[in-house]
Formats: sequence, C-alpha cells, structure tokens
Amino acid sequence: MIKRLTGLLLALLLLAGLTACGEKGQGTSLDLENASWEEILDAARGTTVTFYGWGGDENRNNWLNSAVADYVKEEYGVTLEVVGMNIEDILAKLSGEKEAGAAAGSIDMIWINGENFYSAKENGLLYGPFTHRLPNMEACVDLEDPETLNDFCMPIEGYEAPYAKAQLVLYRDSAVTPEAPASAQELLDFCRQYPGRVTYPAPPDFTGSAFVRNIIYELCGWEPFQDMEADYDTVAAAIQPALDYLRALNPYLWNRGATFPDSSNAVDAMFADGELALSVSYAPFTVATGIDQGLYTDTTETFVFDGGTIGNTNYMAIAFDAPNKAGAMVVINAILSVPMQLSQYETLRELPVVDGAKLTEEEAAAFDAVDLGRGVLTQEELLSRRLPEMPARLVPVIEEIWLDQVVGQYNS
Amino acid sequence: MRRRPFSRLVLALTATAILLPALVLVVWSLAGRWPWPELLPERWSLRTARELFFGSASLPRLLLSSTLLAGGTALLSTAAALLTARAAALYPIPGKGLVRFCGLLPLLIPGTVFAMGIHLTLLRLGLTDTAAGVLLVHVVAAAPYAMAIMEDVTAAVGGGLEEQAAVLGAPPLRAFCSASLPQLLPGILSSMSMAFTISYSQYFSTLIVGGGRVRTLALVLVPYIQGGDRSLASVYAVAFTAWALAVFFLFECLIRRREKGGDGTWN
Repeated sequence: MIKRLTGLLLALLLLAGLTACGEKGQGTSLDLENASWEEILDAARGTTVTFYGWGGDENRNNWLNSAVADYVKEEYGVTLEVVGMNIEDILAKLSGEKEAGAAAGSIDMIWINGENFYSAKENGLLYGPFTHRLPNMEACVDLEDPETLNDFCMPIEGYEAPYAKAQLVLYRDSAVTPEAPASAQELLDFCRQYPGRVTYPAPPDFTGSAFVRNIIYELCGWEPFQDMEADYDTVAAAIQPALDYLRALNPYLWNRGATFPDSSNAVDAMFADGELALSVSYAPFTVATGIDQGLYTDTTETFVFDGGTIGNTNYMAIAFDAPNKAGAMVVINAILSVPMQLSQYETLRELPVVDGAKLTEEEAAAFDAVDLGRGVLTQEELLSRRLPEMPARLVPVIEEIWLDQVVGQYNS
Repeated sequence: MRRRPFSRLVLALTATAILLPALVLVVWSLAGRWPWPELLPERWSLRTARELFFGSASLPRLLLSSTLLAGGTALLSTAAALLTARAAALYPIPGKGLVRFCGLLPLLIPGTVFAMGIHLTLLRLGLTDTAAGVLLVHVVAAAPYAMAIMEDVTAAVGGGLEEQAAVLGAPPLRAFCSASLPQLLPGILSSMSMAFTISYSQYFSTLIVGGGRVRTLALVLVPYIQGGDRSLASVYAVAFTAWALAVFFLFECLIRRREKGGDGTWN
C-alpha cells in the first residue's frame, strides 16, 4: 500500500515535470544559421527569454525588470524573465546539463566576462558565434575596440556582446582624509599616515583581484603581461616589485595585513561605517549611488591613479542549450541599442558600450546631459586613464601567488 | 501554575537574547548610514521598505510560493514519515535499521553535495526547473527530521488502542482515525512545523534544482546577505521571520478553534 502510494506520487510528479518541459521548446524550428534578421524577429515574437546573472544589485534588477522588460515587450513582443544567480552556479548548472545530455536547457542569456567567459567558451557552454547577426553591433558599437574583440585577452569571436563598461576607482571621504593618493607610492604614504584604516578585498574577490593587478601595473607596467605564459614561476618573477610593495603595505593595513575582508561588499560596508579611510570599487559611479542612498557622506570623492586604472567590459552571452536563442539575440540587440544604453547610463550609472563616433549629435548630447551625481569622475576622465585587462589565464596564477607570498607576510 | 523567580529570570534573559538582535534587525532595515560608534543610525531611510513592497521582486508572489512549497513539504514529508514510522514500530519488517539509516542520510551528507547529486538525478528525470522537482527535494531534506519525531511518537503511542478498536469491530481506517490519530496529533503537528521551517529556509537546493525559476523568499534574501547590503538584507530577514511567525500563529488559531468546535475525534 505504502509503496503503491509513493509510486503513484512519484509518477504524478514526473508527469508534472514532463509537461512543464514540453512547453519550453520555443523557436527551435527556425534554422538560425541561415535565417535573416526579420525571420529571427518573427520567431522571437511572443516568446519568453530568461536572463541569468548576479542578482545582488537591486538597482540593476529593477532596471532589467522595468525599463528593459518593457522595451523588448513593446518593440518585439518578447517577455523578459530575469533570474538572479551567481555565475559559478550558472556555469555549474550548464556543465551539469551538458554532462547529463539533457535536451531541454533553461538558460537563454548569461551575464558574463573574464575568467568565467574563458572557461565557459573553452568548455563549449556557450552558443555562437552570434554577434555578427545583431544589427546594433554594427550600428552602435566600435567593432575595432580591443574590448569588443577580446575579453581579458581571450578572443571573443562572436560569442558574447558588450553590456556595460566597468573601471576600478578609489574613493575616500575628503572631509576625513584630504589627500587622494595618485600613485602606488603615495598610497603607501597614505597607509602610513592612517595605519589600520586601509585594506582591500582578498583575491579571488573580483575587485580585490583587480586592485592587486592594478598595483602590478603601477610597478611593472601592463605591456609585459599581454602575452605572458601562465606559469607560476614566470609570473612570480615578473611581478616581484609588486609583491615587495604589497608586503611593505601590510604592516600599515587593517589587522596588519594578517587577514583581509573576503568581499568588496565587506570593504564598502567598513568604509561606510567609518572604520576604513579608503575603499576600492569596480563600479566607477558607486559613490554617487552611495551618497544618494545615504550610505556615504556628501563629502565622499572618487579618484584614480595618475598612471591609470584597470577597466573591463562585461558581456552578454547565450547558453549552448538555450531553448530560445532567437529571443535571446533580439533582447541582446535591444540592450545594445542607443535608448537602452542611455537608460542604463542614466539609471544605473554604468559606462555605456556605444561608440561615441557612431552617435548622432542629438544622441551624443543626451549622453552628455546625464547627471551622474556627486563625488564622481566624468566619463572622459575615466576613459583617458583606462588600462586594459590582463589575460584571463594569468588571473588565477596571480591570485595564488598573492595567497602564498603576500597575505600576512612582511619584508625582512 | 505559579512560576518561581529563578525560572522567570531565565525566561526573561532568554527572551531578551532572542528579541534584542531581532530588534537590531528592524533598526538596520530602516537605517541609511550607521557609522560606529553611534548608538542609533545617523540617517534613516525608507529605501528598503520601498524595495520590499514596490520593488520588482513582487513580495506577495514570493510569500505565496514559499508558503505553498513549505506547506506541501510539511504535508508530504509528515505523511511519509508517519507511514514509515508505523511500519517500523508496529510490523516486524526485516532490515528496518537500514531503512531508518537511509532516511537519515540527507542529514549526514553536506547540503551542497546532496543538492548537486540530486540535481543530476532530477535532470535525467526532467524534473529540474519545476516546482514539483523543488518540492521533492524539500521533502527529502525535511524527511529525516519528520521521521525522527514521528518514530518517537508512534513508538510511544503503540498499537494497543487500535487493536482494541479492531477487536470491537472497527474497520482499519476508522480504528486508526478514532484510536491512534488523536494521540499522534501533537507529534504530527510538531513534525509538520519542523518540515515547514526546513523547506521555508532552503536556499541552495531550491536554487540548483529550481534553476532560479522557482522563486522563494529565501532565494531573494540570501544574495542580499552575501552581497553585503545590510539594510536590504535586514528588511528581507524581518519579512522572512514575520511571515513564518504569522503562518504559525494562524495555524495555531485554526487548531485551537477546531479543538474547541469539533467533537475531538478528528475523523
């Protein structure tokens, strides 16, 4: 009796699962490789697209769910469903689906870049090339821009389209610490002056890792790394001056550099609490948002090193088993459009990926007219001090070296 | 019953230890900037309340799906546990110990490993990204607790009264409902509330098996805790706790009314 009941229950559950899967097969009948853009638009009309990406930023969630979702619904009849998930979990899910050979994927679009793009592309988790099909790539984006061609030096080859630009910035409360260190050397002096009140997120945190790479650029330049082999000893020898510098920094850092906060959010919170005198962010206009939300004081100000800071682009890709590839292309194309990039710039204060030279005068004026808020640098100031990212394969090596040779260690 | 001063003191201390941090959560959820060493926030803000009630996460939908999932888990896992416990306590089945041990396995294996393994299995069955799949995982996660409770209770109640009813000519179902069920009821209720809580607070298994398509309150809450936005994390935590308490309160009211109004036999 019990067995029969359980069996019945399982069968019912299975049935429910199967019917749910049966509804998903949208837009698969179209021969995507040879379809014209009009045919893709037709196939996408009336379908649903899922967009998976990090969900910890309520402003971005709201922007996607309102501005973008409304735009693609009105223009193309596509329903956008935004799902918050960390990129590691997304890739784990995709490789699980690949391993199980499941026909029905559930992820259409992915928010991705850097090391994750590198491993996803290497492991065949992405669909492509597809960006050459999108009219707005040609119409709005600079196709020769190194960041359109390469993501952390990994050739993109049409497997992802740009979404927004990020750049490392530093910030401090000018009422508490009037000095803004403009170089690694000045940063060391700053730390000496405010002992225990500076730290950075421990790599492999995204921001902390970029900060360490930026210090490497300050002391070793960026050119040697563009084609360096991802070998522990080679890299360690090349970044020796930076390692010495980081160890020299340790005695003056928070908790004497014996430990580091585990995430950039923790560092931001410590800065907001007044525990730290300086913080680092990969979101160049974060100070304006922080002041608006009442988290930071009105006198908080952004600055960058004179030698420049690392910038990168984040991208949108399509999953290899995406059930609705046509719809995903339509949404990605829409996000690349001038109105959506302008809306992203206005609402989220993210650097747009559109090419200024391809804008009409009116459009350019609209971008210039955006009020970025208080305490930030202008787009020109940022872009003129922008340095390229390192090859993605070097990133984990540097993180390993940092863990071995920097944390809790001092120069003798 | 009169309480002695000592036990009152313990009660007061316990209540403070639980309520004070909860109160801090409420303050945090309305705080704009709260730098050390201020006793109260420097700035107050309604940002989090706006996000909670008018944000794109849609609170009513989240509450509904969380409650349905947790309620379903409570019913299914307690039913399964009751049947298993009765089989183990009342019938001589060989290999009983092994079955009992297997039931406890989800408790012994780390949650992430458990979720990854079950994800692969459900993927082959085509149950990922469905509410049914998530429900199934929650039931498996809650089953060890439900079984532990039901086994004790069933063993304590035993089968004597039911046998007596059967001897007097009652058919099996009626014998169970009239003789055993009223005695088992407190155990059933505590097993159900335990299973409810387990399902309500599942995060990783919901995320992996539900693929982010099955959205619960915990799924929205955890990224804000990890993301370090303390005000948003607090406001969601307050909503999370308040809703669970409200559901339990409602449940208890219903039980009380049923107990007073009914004839006490539950059939």
